[in-house]
Amino acid sequence: MSIIQTNKLCHRFSDGTQSLSDVSLSFKEGEFTVIAGANGSGKTTLLRHFNGLLFPASGSVWVCGRSVKKDPSAARRQVGMVFQDADSQIIGDTVYDDVAFGPENLRLSHSQINQRVTQSLSDVNLDGFDDKSPHNLSGGEKRRLAIAGVLAMTPRVLVMDEPFSNLDYPATCTIVSQLLKLHEAGHTIIITTHDLEKVIAYAGRLIVMDNGRVVRDGVPEEVVVGIEQYGIRPPCSIQLGKGIQPWLS
Amino acid sequence: MFDTAREGHSTMAELTTIGFKPGFSMLHRLDPRTKQLLIMVLSVVCLRGNIIFLTLISTLLILLFHRSSLRLIQFVREIRYFLFFLLFIFIVRAMSFSEDFYPVFIIANAREAALVCWRLLLVVLMGVLLISTTRTADIRASLIWFMKPLPFVNERLAATTVGLVVRFLPLVLFQAGEIGDVMRARGIEKRKNPLVRLIKFTITLFRRVFLRADDLVDTMQARCYNEYRTLPELSFTRDDVVAAGVCVLVLLTWVIL
Repeated sequence: MSIIQTNKLCHRFSDGTQSLSDVSLSFKEGEFTVIAGANGSGKTTLLRHFNGLLFPASGSVWVCGRSVKKDPSAARRQVGMVFQDADSQIIGDTVYDDVAFGPENLRLSHSQINQRVTQSLSDVNLDGFDDKSPHNLSGGEKRRLAIAGVLAMTPRVLVMDEPFSNLDYPATCTIVSQLLKLHEAGHTIIITTHDLEKVIAYAGRLIVMDNGRVVRDGVPEEVVVGIEQYGIRPPCSIQLGKGIQPWLS
Repeated sequence: MFDTAREGHSTMAELTTIGFKPGFSMLHRLDPRTKQLLIMVLSVVCLRGNIIFLTLISTLLILLFHRSSLRLIQFVREIRYFLFFLLFIFIVRAMSFSEDFYPVFIIANAREAALVCWRLLLVVLMGVLLISTTRTADIRASLIWFMKPLPFVNERLAATTVGLVVRFLPLVLFQAGEIGDVMRARGIEKRKNPLVRLIKFTITLFRRVFLRADDLVDTMQARCYNEYRTLPELSFTRDDVVAAGVCVLVLLTWVIL
């Protein structure tokens, strides 16, 4: 059964720009999917439909068999979204408060909130950061905090928009390791990126978007061939004729 | 293997005093309801206090500022525009016009004007102490507690509005600092007309703040925000009794003086 499904999804911004055209996709539980595309190809707009932050002009989006338009709250409980700008995702005054924000909205008891916050911080290796100001964390730590904030709501799908943007090499390694750990734990993961290098080896599916349309969809080894025509740089290993190689050593 | 490196740029928490700073000072430990009650009482009393009383309150606030590990000099730098506003109030109240319409400085008026400015500054100082030592969620929970008995008031909505304002104050200051840097880097000083500089600064600031507000709304929605969320647990402790005692002492001093 599909955990997320879109049928002929179209979206148009208020200035008339057509951002998505006839996007029909289906994501299975436990999949690790990468959505690639150049800037303005519609990746972020698509993700925002999964979480009910945007609604389609035509077509439909379904999460766990329920229409996102009819019940956006249910979609938000099932689909946790990590935004591109980790700073704008900080809500709480402390690391603990930030992670607790989601469970508090779900009206859980204080003991349940405490348990979820502790577990989520532990999952992303931020134990002991509870009383720190989130604004003082490094870029990588902020990104992990954003993931913890989403994990605390125990979503079935983790959607991440450009998770490697503005991160240095060690922080990127950390986030990639974290993603693999979460995938192994059974989470369905959908990430958007224009930088395939880092995750392509770990993804089971690669979707390419161009001008708001899905132009390719399949296993990465097949989809990546000739991908530069869509404004996406192929991984170095492909260019060197070595096939897809894992990024983490 | 998890990184601990810090980026080279200043962070929001480093740039602004006006915003919650995690800590374990006495003010941090006080129940937010006690702090808000103290502010309400002391603000009202401050507005009618004489020089001795204002000196006493000022000393107390400076001490609390220090004990809460907040940097007074940085705070003064951040409220410099408010200080200009106070200077304007001082000049308006202290100056008068002679029969020939020449501006005249009157000593008696200046004393009263200085007192007015001093009182306003103390009220602002108290507000900053509250914001710096209290989590926004606790301020919200406390306001809900205070407003609950009031009829025809949606206490959760009102408290959320106040909470968002408190949340946005440091953000506005941070954005203002960043925009100031960007404008200086591109030679805004060469524009001699202060009005042009102010307009360019203000429009950019508003645009940035509104965009950040949009981002914040998206983030909150994505994490199922609703007004009826679980509120933080608030509890009065011995520290609150001590603080209330100090407040009563201050009030008695005011009555006596």
